[in-house]
Amino acid sequence: MTLASLAARLFQSRLWRSFFRHGWPDNPLDRSLAMTSNVFFHLHPVKVSHKSLRWSYSFGLGIISCILFGVLVWTGVLLMFYYVPSVERAYPTMKEIQLSVPLGQFTRDMHRWSAHAMVLAVILHLARVFYVGAYKPPREFNWIVGVVLLLLTLGASFTGYLLPWDQLAYWAITVGTNIAGYAPVAGPVMREMLLGGAEVGQNALIRFYTLHIAVLPLLITMLVSLHVWRVRKDGGLAANET
Amino acid sequence: MATQLPVTDEIFPKDSRKTYSLAELMRGESPLVGKGPDDTVFSFPIVLLWEVVLLLGVTLAIFLFSLARHAPLEEIANPLVTTDPAKAPWYFLGLQELLEHMHPTLAGVIIPTVLVLFLVMLPYLDHSRANAGVWFSSARGRRIVSWTALYVLVVMPGYIALDNALGLRELLRGVVPQWVAQGLLPGAIIAVLVALPALVVWRFGGDTRELMLTLFTVMFVSAIVFTVSGFLFRGPGFKLYWPWQMPDGYNPWDGL
Repeated sequence: MTLASLAARLFQSRLWRSFFRHGWPDNPLDRSLAMTSNVFFHLHPVKVSHKSLRWSYSFGLGIISCILFGVLVWTGVLLMFYYVPSVERAYPTMKEIQLSVPLGQFTRDMHRWSAHAMVLAVILHLARVFYVGAYKPPREFNWIVGVVLLLLTLGASFTGYLLPWDQLAYWAITVGTNIAGYAPVAGPVMREMLLGGAEVGQNALIRFYTLHIAVLPLLITMLVSLHVWRVRKDGGLAANET
Repeated sequence: MATQLPVTDEIFPKDSRKTYSLAELMRGESPLVGKGPDDTVFSFPIVLLWEVVLLLGVTLAIFLFSLARHAPLEEIANPLVTTDPAKAPWYFLGLQELLEHMHPTLAGVIIPTVLVLFLVMLPYLDHSRANAGVWFSSARGRRIVSWTALYVLVVMPGYIALDNALGLRELLRGVVPQWVAQGLLPGAIIAVLVALPALVVWRFGGDTRELMLTLFTVMFVSAIVFTVSGFLFRGPGFKLYWPWQMPDGYNPWDGL
């Protein structure tokens, strides 16, 4: 039995056909179906223009942001297996991760640098979209979704900043939340709601942790899906308008 | 058979004797109206290949950077010992730098709120579809952005240095009410610095897009200037130093 006939038998098997409802994507129909019948691929359009693939047009910044988010989820989940969000245990578990967990230091480094890189990539993505005028109709709504995603990204990074519970984290969050507290009337209330008290302590740590590992990543995942899907619905990249 | 029977398994039976149907022509456009399919390719597999290449490239870059440099971990948090300087995460250092120059409500609340509102309202202020998908819209737009960026790179560091040297707040303490010295005056200075290039563009017959290019560039480059100033040029006591002359062995990069 040759390899080719084995492959053919596999692709025609009942099992394979139950997973993938299209043939080998070497023809227009199956290439379309490959995109539309796959939940991960269907956010993409079936066809894209050469213009929108041009590197110097988009610099791939949106996809890069998305990839960095993926790296952050991956490394973040690994860190969650060891990290304990309590004032007594947080710092010791950080030390443990760095000193005794296999590849712990490396995982933490990847998480930290990806986080900074993602904030940077999202900001550059916003600037790119502005300078090519991709916020113009019919893409107004997607621009707003993007602005919200920028704010969520900043929020995700900021809430993660506290978790190591070292001097750097503690005072950065103290300074950062003080800025929010300067708003007249609502400021102190907002600050207290975020911190769960007047100062950065156990309440703040568990709130930041919950926001960081559950609320914000979920919101980002949902809005990124909406954002990418909407790019397709609005006619692809604005490069197509030219 | 003389007459054909209507199809019965539909909710609204189609009478085969009718030779017309209801249809309406509408004026409107689809996202791809006026664009032929000629310049397109199938997303499969080219887009996915691009994404895999980017995935490998980005991960490799972060991987190598992680090998070269460890994430910082200082002493355990101690509410009784303030670090000097105490800095916010880098993306908020622009705001912390602003705080040095004006009232906290203006720097920490009003200006960021105005910036976010500007971003949200942008597509409704500039809603013409002309030149979408072209970097800076035109050669003129590119010139406007370059000159505005240059202007901001001169004016904003100048403002930071000058205000730092004169200490406007201290100078006017007791002379005028606090809300004038810390709120009105610095607010007015910033407003004039922001509006000036926009006024020039408007005077020379700039359209809405060109005004937005100016305002966004002022906002974007100012944010970079203030962030760099707060991150690289602020040392102990949040005072201005040259990055290579930081006292007490303070290295701003350690706090990344």
